[in-house]
Amino acid sequence: MNSLLKVENLKKWFEIKKGLFSPTLYVRAVDGVSFQLLSGEAISLVGESGSGKTTLGKTILRLYEPTSGKLYFEGKDITHLDDKNSLWYRRETALIQQDPFGALAPHFTIYRILEEPLIIHGFKDKRERRELVYRALREVRLVPEEDFAHKYPHMLSGGQMQRVAVARAIILRPKLIIADEPVSMLDASVRVEILNLLHELQNRNKISFIYITHDLATTRYFSEWIFIMYAGHIVEKARTKELLKKPLHPYTKALLAAIPDPDPENRKQFRDVPPGEPPSLVNPPPGCRFAPRCPYATDVCRKEPPEIEVEKEHWVKCWLYKES
Amino acid sequence: MDKNGTLLSVQNLYLYYKTRKGLVQAVDDVNMELKRGETLAVVGESGCGKSSLARAIIRLLPRNVGKYSGKIILDNVDTMKLNEEEFRKQVRWKRISMVFQGAQNSLNPVLKVGYQIAEVLMLHLNMSKSRALEEAKKYLRFVGIHEAFVDRYPFELSGGMKQRVMIAMSLITNPDIIILDEPPSALDVITQANIMNLLKKLKKERNFSYIFITHDMALASELADKVAIMYAGEIVEIAPSEVFYSEPMHPYAKGLIGSVPTLRSEKELKSIPGSPPSLFNPPKGCRFHPRCPHADDRCSEKNPPTIELKDGHLVKCWLYVR
Repeated sequence: MNSLLKVENLKKWFEIKKGLFSPTLYVRAVDGVSFQLLSGEAISLVGESGSGKTTLGKTILRLYEPTSGKLYFEGKDITHLDDKNSLWYRRETALIQQDPFGALAPHFTIYRILEEPLIIHGFKDKRERRELVYRALREVRLVPEEDFAHKYPHMLSGGQMQRVAVARAIILRPKLIIADEPVSMLDASVRVEILNLLHELQNRNKISFIYITHDLATTRYFSEWIFIMYAGHIVEKARTKELLKKPLHPYTKALLAAIPDPDPENRKQFRDVPPGEPPSLVNPPPGCRFAPRCPYATDVCRKEPPEIEVEKEHWVKCWLYKES
Repeated sequence: MDKNGTLLSVQNLYLYYKTRKGLVQAVDDVNMELKRGETLAVVGESGCGKSSLARAIIRLLPRNVGKYSGKIILDNVDTMKLNEEEFRKQVRWKRISMVFQGAQNSLNPVLKVGYQIAEVLMLHLNMSKSRALEEAKKYLRFVGIHEAFVDRYPFELSGGMKQRVMIAMSLITNPDIIILDEPPSALDVITQANIMNLLKKLKKERNFSYIFITHDMALASELADKVAIMYAGEIVEIAPSEVFYSEPMHPYAKGLIGSVPTLRSEKELKSIPGSPPSLFNPPKGCRFHPRCPHADDRCSEKNPPTIELKDGHLVKCWLYVR
């Protein structure tokens, strides 16, 4: 398979200006991230809120200008595309957001919402546009499509709205979709439908996915890879099964230990999780950012750990695995 | 407490809201029991009436109540017979307290957190301010926050700490029952696990009874001795946790369990077709029948009775009526 997306030491810092004479501070939301995505593959990017996962997604889509580092899409350097030259990239990529209620224009019909990207990307033939809109609605199983096309977002349930958002994302047949917490606002019984739908689209239409989530339990139903993010860094990368079976980074272990499965035994035991909360991204601790909470931390952790390939296709950014 | 240890007994409880579109049947003929030291998890999807049930028990109601009736018996006293003044003085916060949903927004941003905790004691136990503040410090330590935080404002606290402050507020009067309304749902998983650890510790040390309202089947199992499944304003199944998690009986409960992703075991996820009904005009008969794989004519005509299958395992479904 060929490389679809390559990310090299990507950084996205946001400036905060406090006053005229105080020094400029930066929120280091994404602070040196590298990875590669092959076409047709799905990655789950897992992290807590404030870990930089959404910023990473939006920077990859070039909704944010990268602070430094490189981005390549099918071998082309897209790090600093300007607006004029980015239309083709917009067509190749799409974003599904967390909140379907906020993502769909309330005064547009579903038809108009789905037609919009077609108009922007120069589909002049009205009949063709209609066919594509109806095809997209059928693909997300909002049928009969003629009925749904003429409704307004407020007439749909949360799950149906998220289907419209998915339809809009796939209508231009992009190569990469970034789904940012696509199911976290939906009820449990509806969640599964949307996850299965996304998985099906990935397989059938060979779309690559980056699935951004805080919920490790849903990733195994969806992606080949899991990347764990903590405070602006990717701390562990591995195939989904491998990572769930054999987590290496102390943070990943804590994350797994924190998540309950439905089991009445749970109430009889305490969960083995570290205290404290993630650090500020304005003034992160030196070296490993998990060190202040890590039960295994030593002096060496004050220096930034390297990314080590401990086993084939299993990388971890932690001094524990450095052979001296 | 009566002889079999029942602390709270809710009988035929109704809570309807009046709106321009008609009556919302948020809590519809709910029955449940809670023993001392026991935790009941009330699990349901958004809009099933679980938060309304909590508010009905602690009687914090909006203005548009259309119907509020039934019995809420706490230690052999029917609290529904108390007037508002008596209820406020004798029950609310003294006997039953609550941790509200969204701790992030439940604290007053312009008051120091210590004062907000102390205020509970000043109002409900007529304690002096200085003594109440000392107590507040003690309870902050108790929930794992340094006592210096009494003088901080809510914006200086992280999400997990605010949640701990809300918990301190709920237990400072030493109530019998604490209602937890989706307590950690806006928190990160590790912080959430820390909060659950705290709640487990409190339960063990102080023998509180919890009513734990949540939409999350897995999280419910962290505390629940007993699980109640709520659907469209009604409780459709109640069972002890051991029984419920190994063998749910109601088709909705089965569907809900089947849709929970698990980390430690391989299973295929299933979804429940359709979406929950509107509480303005719920379906006739069993409210789940339009989505139920086993529905027949009976289900669309008559509301099923609640029957007891085994000790304490109640289910409201025609499938089990002989």
